[in-house]
Amino acid sequence: MKRREILIMGLLLVGGVIAIFLPDTKAHEHIISKKELLYDLNRSDRYMSTDELAKAIMEGDQSYMLIDIRTPNEYKKYSIEGALNIPFDSLMTENNKWKFDLDQNPQTPVLYSNGSSKADQAWLKLHSFDYKNVKVLKGGLNEWYMTILNPQKPADDELTGQLEEQYLFRKGAQVYFTGANPVGNGGSAKPKKASTKPIVKRKKKEVSGGCG
Amino acid sequence: MGPLEPQHLLNPELNLLIASIIGFGFGFLLEASGFTNTRKLAGVFYGYDATVIKVFFTAGLTALLGLFFLHYMGWIDITLTFFPKTFWIPTLVGGAIMGLGFIVGGFCPGTSLSAAATGKVDAIVFIGGVMIGIFGFIFSYEAVWETLRKSGNMGRVNIAEWIGMKEGLFIFLFVVIAIVTFIVYQKWQDSWKKKMSEEDIDDLGI
Repeated sequence: MKRREILIMGLLLVGGVIAIFLPDTKAHEHIISKKELLYDLNRSDRYMSTDELAKAIMEGDQSYMLIDIRTPNEYKKYSIEGALNIPFDSLMTENNKWKFDLDQNPQTPVLYSNGSSKADQAWLKLHSFDYKNVKVLKGGLNEWYMTILNPQKPADDELTGQLEEQYLFRKGAQVYFTGANPVGNGGSAKPKKASTKPIVKRKKKEVSGGCG
Repeated sequence: MGPLEPQHLLNPELNLLIASIIGFGFGFLLEASGFTNTRKLAGVFYGYDATVIKVFFTAGLTALLGLFFLHYMGWIDITLTFFPKTFWIPTLVGGAIMGLGFIVGGFCPGTSLSAAATGKVDAIVFIGGVMIGIFGFIFSYEAVWETLRKSGNMGRVNIAEWIGMKEGLFIFLFVVIAIVTFIVYQKWQDSWKKKMSEEDIDDLGI
């Protein structure tokens, strides 16, 4: 046998022996660096506001995929229209199971829980895997209830300009999501208009938004 | 270019260009290392030439160890690599046909192309046979081969996981098996060389 062949065999054998002591191959975790993570953590565009979400659902926007990370029981009691239930614990432990839904999906996954903190934790976990386009519903279901399902009317003197527009939109969204009677809720003529108004208002917004 | 092209990091034209360059290199090295010689290839079955077995085992082991270590160091993610499903029955049948073709024809598909490029008439005839095989398969696929092709599906199999063994241990055993094969084969080859001279081997007419 030639010397070169013995050398190659020796090297392969050494490699094989080292291999015994290495752990089995698993998907890499934490690909993203801490610095990047910290930077992304402070970016406001990782949040989606309840208004944006309501608008997306009402317009039939298919580019978002809602992920309800609460328990299946809570999910059964109430969930936002079209949400998929991936319980928080399952998301943290069986990450690979949901990879297809959450990573590089053509749709943007939007996580929500009751508040923001659980969804934020889930976001952090997913983002550390470098799942880039995951968002969090700001304020979670609490915010959703306060702003969309049961919007509070601002004081009359504040009810101008943008705030008024926002309020009217929310009133319209409330009708869309709860089927509430706008007259019964508001009492005045304004909410009545609101049921049809959001679409008009949205259009306005889009125009003023310009080339964005 | 596996990881680059499907992710649109490389345009198709450049991809073809790179593929061509790699193809030229591959063909050149096949010729340079004597693989276009039918005697060298058939020799592995008769026991007088271990080159093929050495090359394939060494290439396989290097890739195996390399990928495993690179994954460990975090340079690549092996779970993202693609490997096809295992259909054990057609693989067995196909392997037998391939082996038979190898020993009878003295070429494998790649080396036949390289050998044809050097002007070997037997390689050109071999390619004709390959074409007959390909088109014969295509036109008789539904009638004859389809059931066989789809039988014995085991899904995507990771052998170590399938046996229930630690991956590192499996790799080690695989290396040991390869090295034992090298040595035993080398002994066999040496005994051949003692029995007959180079001219005698040439006279076998293989």
